[in-house]
Amino acid sequence: MRKVGYIAAREFLGTVVTKGFIVGVLMTPALLTIVFAVAPRLMAQRGSVVRGQVAVIDPTNRVTSELRLTMSPAEMTRRREETARRAIANAPAAVRDIAASQPSTPSAVAGALGAVPELEVVEPQTGADLQTAKGWLTAPSDGPRHLALVVIHPDAIQRLRNRDEYGVYDIYVPATIDDRVETAIYDSLRDALVNVRLRAQNMDRQTVDALVRVPRPRSVTLTQGNERATVGAFNRILPLAFTGLLLMGVLMGGQGLVTSTVEEKSSRVVEVLLSAVSPIELMAGKILGQMAVSLVILAIYIALALLALASFAMLGLVDPILIVYLVIFFIITYLTIGSLMAAAGAAVNEMREAQQLAMPMMLALMIPWVLATPIAREPNSPFSTIISFIPPVNTFAMLLRLTSTAPPPAWQVWLTILIGIGSVTAAIWFAAKVFRIGLLMYGKPPDLATLIRWARSA
Amino acid sequence: MNPALRLTGIRKRFGSTTAVESLDLEVPSGALYGVIGPNGAGKTTTIRMIMSILFPDAGELSVLGHASALEAKDRIGYLPEERGVYRRMPVGAFLTYIARLKGVTEAEIPARVRRGLERVELGGSEKKRCEELSKGTLQKVQILAAIIHQPDLLILDEPFTGLEPVSTRLLRDIVVAEHRRGATILFSTHAMHQAEDLCEHVVMIHRGRKVLDEPIVNLRRRFDPRTIRFEPLDPAADLAPLRALAEVERLEPAANGYDVLLADGSDPGIAIQRMTAAVAPSRIELARLRLEDVFVSIVSDGHALGAVS
Repeated sequence: MRKVGYIAAREFLGTVVTKGFIVGVLMTPALLTIVFAVAPRLMAQRGSVVRGQVAVIDPTNRVTSELRLTMSPAEMTRRREETARRAIANAPAAVRDIAASQPSTPSAVAGALGAVPELEVVEPQTGADLQTAKGWLTAPSDGPRHLALVVIHPDAIQRLRNRDEYGVYDIYVPATIDDRVETAIYDSLRDALVNVRLRAQNMDRQTVDALVRVPRPRSVTLTQGNERATVGAFNRILPLAFTGLLLMGVLMGGQGLVTSTVEEKSSRVVEVLLSAVSPIELMAGKILGQMAVSLVILAIYIALALLALASFAMLGLVDPILIVYLVIFFIITYLTIGSLMAAAGAAVNEMREAQQLAMPMMLALMIPWVLATPIAREPNSPFSTIISFIPPVNTFAMLLRLTSTAPPPAWQVWLTILIGIGSVTAAIWFAAKVFRIGLLMYGKPPDLATLIRWARSA
Repeated sequence: MNPALRLTGIRKRFGSTTAVESLDLEVPSGALYGVIGPNGAGKTTTIRMIMSILFPDAGELSVLGHASALEAKDRIGYLPEERGVYRRMPVGAFLTYIARLKGVTEAEIPARVRRGLERVELGGSEKKRCEELSKGTLQKVQILAAIIHQPDLLILDEPFTGLEPVSTRLLRDIVVAEHRRGATILFSTHAMHQAEDLCEHVVMIHRGRKVLDEPIVNLRRRFDPRTIRFEPLDPAADLAPLRALAEVERLEPAANGYDVLLADGSDPGIAIQRMTAAVAPSRIELARLRLEDVFVSIVSDGHALGAVS
């Protein structure tokens, strides 16, 4: 066992203390953290205020004056904060709690959209036709920028008799306009038109707003003896995140095993090792070493994910037992796939051949992704149940079910684990025999029939 | 005293090819044995079976008193024919790793690595990566890895292959030193003169079968040399008196002189006396035993084959 530990330690350090690992595994989450931590702050930095003029041709003579009000910086700021407030109201409870603890949140969210533009509404000279007005928009200006030309439809306030809908407006903008400024103009125009139309009908804007607003109700998920707020997007992401982590851990560990085994075989160091340890000790050490590498990777990603959840006060949404299941299922799947990958590495002479031999295992690991949607939608259907007992995809299927909104009964989880232990035993038995013979075989890579013959003869 | 190594009726086949057949071998503790034979004779397969890297189809093995080398790996040093290292690993780290696997205590490892490297004239190379070393230098590191744990049994598969003369001498010295320390040594070679120089006992394998298993001393006696190397003092000397001697069958030109083949039944000692009297020599000596000749003699002689196997 001591020797297995030495081999595992060398395998672990030989993989972890390399530039490739540090760049590939540590730098990626580090960069993501930097991007997520720094980018919002940079985005929140106010840029220079956009100032300019919006020309309005208004045959109704009623919209322009209202637009001056709705396009004022104060009104635009109020509108943004109102939008932010609605977004927060629809967010998960945890996010709402954070927002509630910080009264300035709506203005901070609104601020992330940039500085409120200062827009001046101007009217073309009386009698100016559309072409002249378009010329104004594109003409160079030493003074304020010409940002848009708005032509209000004559029926924008009063419907024509034979029409069901009101007229709106046409808008012309230069090519260089900022989309946030354009949105601000649209929002201001919408508010102005609605206000004028309502007044024309002798209606009050606040009353109408209250009448038409039906906020989405808060959905509550009921399970046996438990109820929690439904978080739709989170419910969809969680199963994929967990199976993604499982797949990533298994693939990285398996790939590492193939690479290091092929390297040891092709550099002929393997015979030196076999003079000191038995093939099964060598294989066990390598599998454990790479498993430790994968666990480190998983730990990094899980820690970052939990950190991200904690920063949004959503930590409570992840049941800690799910992480325990993730680790258990990772160990089962990794030992099954990893030992077969080690055998594939031992049976061949170079990486290209190893990849060909490992291809069926890789494809088998992709099956859960194809089945993810039907399993997540119907976690307790006969199909989902049966697939939870077929190795090597059983662990993926069970993890999908466990992270779904209707987890399976406990006996099914235990059965999946038991079947997993069986598949691990069978895979290690087969792999150990292939590993022992394959390590010293050079030349033509073996086919499946040869591998089976090795397993029987060893 | 138990033998260090005992093989009884060992057979190994790869598909339809018989690599080793009915091999019996006993190597006493503390002996220095050479396994010789041409390429493909079955030497490496035999060694791999001794090391429990391969397993025999039939027969029994005993290594340092154990039924398998797996039970005594820490007491065995092994230099495989296919030598390898972790190319990116520093020399010191590689030797440390092997020493750990061979059961050397952590406290002893640094001193053993340092002393070992100094012994093969690589002092201060601990931090160098293996890939930075030349092939010959790397071979020294590999030999060091085989002896770093001071094994009781040292098995070297073709140890001299690829070594230049200075390194060959260094390795010879190491083998002799390990033998003096008390280690049992078994090495294989297809270069038979190396076995002649080093071994006290040779085992010859041909087509998977043992065809010879004798001490060098016995071989020298059994394969009585019938050739005397003769270099005349005067290169232009008349050799007719030499040819006229009853002990001399014929003369064959050789490097710097002649090979004098003796007539059947003649005594080499008397022949040397008479030859010296007939023509003054600058050098005269019995031709040394050449295992190559012994090998050719054995494989071409059915009786010898039968006698040994």
